[in-house]
Amino acid sequence: MSFCFNDANVAKIEALKKRYPSAQALSLPCLWMVQYQEGYISLDAIDVIAEVTDTPAMEIYRVATFYTMFHLEPTTQKRVLVCKTLSCKLCGSDAVLEQLKKHDVLVEHVECLGSCGTAPVMQIDDVNYENLTPTKVDAIVEGLR
Amino acid sequence: MSEMIEIIVDDKTYRAEEGSLLIDLLIREEIKVPYFCYHESLGADGNCRMCMVEIAGQKRPQIACDTLVKSGMEVNSKSTKIEKVHTDILELELINHPVDCPTCDQAGECSLQDLYMDYGLHDAKVTIVDKVKHDKKVDLGSNVMLDQERCVLCARCTRFTDKITHTHELGIIGRGDEAKVSTMPGRKLDNPYAMNVVDLCPVGALTSKDFRFHQRVWFLQSAESICHGCAKGCNIYIDHNKMKYQDDVIYRFRPRRNDAVNGFYICDEGRLSYKELETNRLESMLYDGVVVDEHEAIAQYKSLLTQYQGRVSVVIDANLYSEEIEAIVAYAERIGAKVFAPLECYNDPSFADDMLKSAQRAANYGAIVKMGLETNMPSDAGLIINFNHPTHFNAEAEIHFSTHKQESNALLLPMAAFSENSGSLINEVGLEQWCEKAVEKNSPAPTVLSWLEKVEG
Amino acid sequence: MREVAIVSRKFAVENSHTLSVAQAHGAYKTLEKLHTLAPLEIIEIIKESGLRGKGGGGAPAGAKWALMPQESERPSFVVINCDESEPGTFKDRQIITKDPHLLIEGILITCYAVKAKHAYVYIRGEYAQYQDVLQGAVDEAYVAGILGEVDVTLHRGAGAYICGEKSALLESLEGKRGHPRLKPKQPEPEWYFGNPTLVNNVETIASVPFIMEHGAAAYRAYGTEKSPGTLLFAMSGHVEKPGVYEAEFGVSMMDYINHYGGGMKNGKKLKAVIPGGASTGVMTAAEADNVQLDYESLRSMGLSLGTGGMIVMDEDTCMVSVLKNLLEFYHEESCGQCTPCREGTGWVDKLVGKILDKRGSSEDIDKLLEVAETMNGKTICVFAPAVSAVIVSFLSRFRDEFEAAL
Ligand SMILES: Cc1cc2nc3c(=O)[nH]c(=O)nc-3n(C[C@H](O)[C@H](O)[C@H](O)COP(=O)(O)O)c2cc1C
Ligand code: SF4
Ligand code: SF4
Ligand code: FES
Ligand code: FES
Repeated sequence: MSFCFNDANVAKIEALKKRYPSAQALSLPCLWMVQYQEGYISLDAIDVIAEVTDTPAMEIYRVATFYTMFHLEPTTQKRVLVCKTLSCKLCGSDAVLEQLKKHDVLVEHVECLGSCGTAPVMQIDDVNYENLTPTKVDAIVEGLR
Repeated sequence: MSEMIEIIVDDKTYRAEEGSLLIDLLIREEIKVPYFCYHESLGADGNCRMCMVEIAGQKRPQIACDTLVKSGMEVNSKSTKIEKVHTDILELELINHPVDCPTCDQAGECSLQDLYMDYGLHDAKVTIVDKVKHDKKVDLGSNVMLDQERCVLCARCTRFTDKITHTHELGIIGRGDEAKVSTMPGRKLDNPYAMNVVDLCPVGALTSKDFRFHQRVWFLQSAESICHGCAKGCNIYIDHNKMKYQDDVIYRFRPRRNDAVNGFYICDEGRLSYKELETNRLESMLYDGVVVDEHEAIAQYKSLLTQYQGRVSVVIDANLYSEEIEAIVAYAERIGAKVFAPLECYNDPSFADDMLKSAQRAANYGAIVKMGLETNMPSDAGLIINFNHPTHFNAEAEIHFSTHKQESNALLLPMAAFSENSGSLINEVGLEQWCEKAVEKNSPAPTVLSWLEKVEG
Repeated sequence: MREVAIVSRKFAVENSHTLSVAQAHGAYKTLEKLHTLAPLEIIEIIKESGLRGKGGGGAPAGAKWALMPQESERPSFVVINCDESEPGTFKDRQIITKDPHLLIEGILITCYAVKAKHAYVYIRGEYAQYQDVLQGAVDEAYVAGILGEVDVTLHRGAGAYICGEKSALLESLEGKRGHPRLKPKQPEPEWYFGNPTLVNNVETIASVPFIMEHGAAAYRAYGTEKSPGTLLFAMSGHVEKPGVYEAEFGVSMMDYINHYGGGMKNGKKLKAVIPGGASTGVMTAAEADNVQLDYESLRSMGLSLGTGGMIVMDEDTCMVSVLKNLLEFYHEESCGQCTPCREGTGWVDKLVGKILDKRGSSEDIDKLLEVAETMNGKTICVFAPAVSAVIVSFLSRFRDEFEAAL
């Protein structure tokens, strides 16, 4: 299956090109667009980004594997990012992780999400859920359906 | 050019160009400082952190590959303090390394192995049991195998495909200690210079499938020679060895640095051309398809020469050494033969590129041009005496001095290949270079010069 | 404690992220005054104010601005660092959601002073929901014509702590892996695609409008001689009311924790504090009792003030597991370029793991310190030295706990 940016993204790319001194700067924005459009980043998409950014495909691939938020494999499960760094750990992230095991979600242990003051925290679809307790976790995950 | 200035390294004064890289001076003066990632043709990357030296006035040790030489600079590369830094970093380099030198193909040519011997780390205090595991056998393509566990992530190979070939097949992917060298999934290392990454790799992570485990490097002998793949004249080492009870054989060609010609590299086709020197060689004298002895062969030679007196043409391969060509030309004069060195057949524009490969695929192309020999095809010849020229000519009779077998009823006389003889070559831009004799076969084929003696004797 | 609100002035105002509300509370007022001053005069004011970078390093902002060329054939750029990934730090997030126009105003002043026409705000990938708020504010400012000749572009990261390091950030902004660059030998600007570039933290730039409005002396009226002004200090961990509260430099740490944080959670006893984000080391309760929150005080203890994000730990906390937690972070986040860091972060993590699992020996503690020493001062960026300092701070203060775990 080959990849194509949808019209909205094509327009976005054109607009962004004017905002950077070099097309290569668009590699992260393009990777994000692909991920939102397709759910993950396929090799086909990497080839398309390579063309858009006038950058070797290998370079895009190296970039995609450097950043933890880019996914090169598709999944049908909901991704749940759970912070396991110190403030969350001190405030009960272990219990959150334990509770999440009971749900059919793809749990990713991530580093500090910048919500240490409202720990523990998890992130689903770019939204932070803070001050978590096991009961809250249940309610939030149930609510996803 | 910048000003030449003086700097002091380990209490000795050296001259260097102001603003040049300190590491270049250390390498040039053979002042031993360990390093992995720096390479003269790839520049500094500063990732291995091995090339640390002390510089007077600086609090911390500095990497020599990112230090510009300044007048009056005082460098210390040997103090106990700096040696400890080297040892400590080396130790870290080894924690995720398999240290499987006895089974490693690179043993003997590995900076890591040299270093940990030098720094006395053989009984390394490396206590980690759960090393990061990676793939030990990745076929990258183009005969190159990768052992990710042995890789020290110096990025020489990836910088080569980025900066030298611009083909970008290799990259370091992932992050932290999960980082590894890879191609894109499903894609291969595929460019005409790919195998140079094997020479570039400072450890045994990249090995040549062609050479892997055929021979321990410390058994090999090296001769300085020139690749015969085209008229560029890339400098090579011919690595060969004669094992007990066996013949002297070539195991590989390796690039030999020459900044005026090929820099650090050679093309893969040239590199693999050593195989031709070991296969399909003409070993016996043949006439009419039947093996003859030297006595018979020379009798036949002389009788043909007498028969075609006045209608003899001599044809010369543009891969012969200049000394050989000159001798043949003189010989032709003595026997009243015309001399031809047709160049047409060596022209192969599809082979050429803008890196090293030349469209003229003959090593001594420049000599033929310089000597002003006739480069048209011989015509109307009664007898052609062919000194290894690859073209088939029409003539009433033929004598072939040949390194390789061929389908012919003519008189075929085996001759030594360039690796079995020494001589000089002139490349396409007129540079004259010398080739050492590399191989001494158990029953060597005669060289051109000794054949001429034989047939004139 | 003296209450002060330089950056957090509008934080409590409802809907202060919208242009109308922000303007009603004084946003963009300094822009009128801006053009009555020459760029170099502004840089002079910033120098006089003593404003120090609030991204963790505390470098004097004015001196950095002065490195930017006033005459240049190449375009100059301003880059705002909103990577905010230092564990314990969540202050820049407050600015971009609660007073994004303050940041934009700061950006406009900065761009004028260093003659840049384009500013990028590099925002960590995990802040998408907060980035939307800032984008909304930027859009409103564009529509209202406030930006003038300046363009402001938000650029989203994608999960890499190291992209907070300024040269790695610029690599990332160029579309590459976030590998810190080799450091220049002399002070010089940063470079974005070969163009001179200024990188400052969100809060640093958000402090600029106040200085423009009230002058350098007004800023210096707060804080200490060497650490003037304020910081959005923050607290997390075992305190009653964690959060971000602006305070002037030089306040006592315990006063701050008790006053704003409401003291220890569940009335427990304090055991240790990480003063300003994970990489600043750890101090004991006794030390916390006597320390002031400014760069110099922390430095004199062998620690750093960092971002001012304090992580507070109570008496039940196991320091071995705390160090293990932090080392997992560094192990995960090393960019992997330099050998000592790539291999060292993994090794120290595994060594402390061994000690935590009660499989350790006293040699492992020695080894830990040895590896920490190798990681110190030999790498491209200060990530590895920071890890080294963290290890040393834990072992020099809580060694008995590590020994007890053997
Ligand atoms: C490993 C590492 C991570 C950093 N992360 C951040 C960060 O998230 N935000 C930030 O503003 N500065 C961060 N910095 C500091 C920046 O390199 C840089 O000094 C700062 O953005 C300059 O702005 P300032 O002078 O206004 O503080 C980090 C530095 C290092 C070494
Ligand atoms: S494979 Fe060899 S050359 Fe390539 S990065 Fe690893 S050690 Fe360096
Ligand atoms: S010290 Fe660590 S994070 Fe910094 S450049 Fe080196 S490997 Fe990367
Ligand atoms: S430690 Fe979890 S959000 Fe910072
Ligand atoms: S050779 Fe200098 S850091 Fe690798």
